[in-house]
Amino acid sequence: MSLTISHARIHELLNVLVTAGSGDYDVRVRLEENEDALLDVEMGINYLLDELIDRRDQNEAQEEELLTRARQLARQQEELVQALSTPVIVVWPGVLALPLVGRIDDARAATITSALLERVTAEQATHVILDLTGVAAIAGATMPALLRMVRAIGLLGARCLLTGIRPEVAPQIVELGGDDLHVRALAQLSDALALVLADKGVLDQPHR
Amino acid sequence: MPFLFEEATTPQGKPLLRILARGEVTLADAEALGARIEPGARNHRWRILSVVEKGTEYSSAARKYFPNLQPMYGAIAVFVTSPIVRAAINMMMRLTGQAPNLRLFSTEEEGLAWLDALEI
Repeated sequence: MSLTISHARIHELLNVLVTAGSGDYDVRVRLEENEDALLDVEMGINYLLDELIDRRDQNEAQEEELLTRARQLARQQEELVQALSTPVIVVWPGVLALPLVGRIDDARAATITSALLERVTAEQATHVILDLTGVAAIAGATMPALLRMVRAIGLLGARCLLTGIRPEVAPQIVELGGDDLHVRALAQLSDALALVLADKGVLDQPHR
Repeated sequence: MPFLFEEATTPQGKPLLRILARGEVTLADAEALGARIEPGARNHRWRILSVVEKGTEYSSAARKYFPNLQPMYGAIAVFVTSPIVRAAINMMMRLTGQAPNLRLFSTEEEGLAWLDALEI
């Protein structure tokens, strides 16, 4: 079976294919009432372009959905990290303990300080034990942040104690001016708690 | 509505659903047909004569819905005179695989004779 096709129709088909090939799927082959097999091909190309648009729309919708989900997860993760980074524990009425873990930069220090000061006020705390057992190294920004935290606690009338300072961290604290704080440093959290309870006269009571 | 439905009979008196199609056929139109021929509906497994006018177009969503109708009709004779519409229906049949008991005709009488001859 032979088929006579005009140059104009071939030209039209090629134009549509080239345009679609460059990513513009809105183009369509102009159809005319030709009683021949090429009309099926032209129709097929138009349907194919419809399908490409459908798939593109679906992909865009899925991409948007994934982005929304990713943003949600990032927000939840941020909230979780923030909650975990300030685990203030009431170890005795009026006595708070805060185990610090990992690197503390300015932003995290500000968050921790804010949460800690709120708790100091709410619990009417007299003592705050900052436990540095989980701090492997004091980065440049950590010490000034720590100093600000200790001073702020002092301004609220609470006494600050540092515990868990590792041997390799101690020289760093001195080097960065931490020994000017005049805070009591103890080996372990339990030592600090014992000291505080003795201050409060609680530890002596059973022996009286 | 691009689909106009009419209940009639074939020349031999068999129940026939006659559909006049024109304009842009959307998913809602295709679903309206589905509602008439689904199991339990009045026109389920009936013979259908679809008269499709020149200029009728099928939306992408409607085209994807039509294969769902295959088990719901007895047979469809499509009377179409426009080569463009015929090409559209041919392409839908190619894209959706087999369309049993669906045939295109260039006169209404041929379509009705075919429907009458079928054992359903």
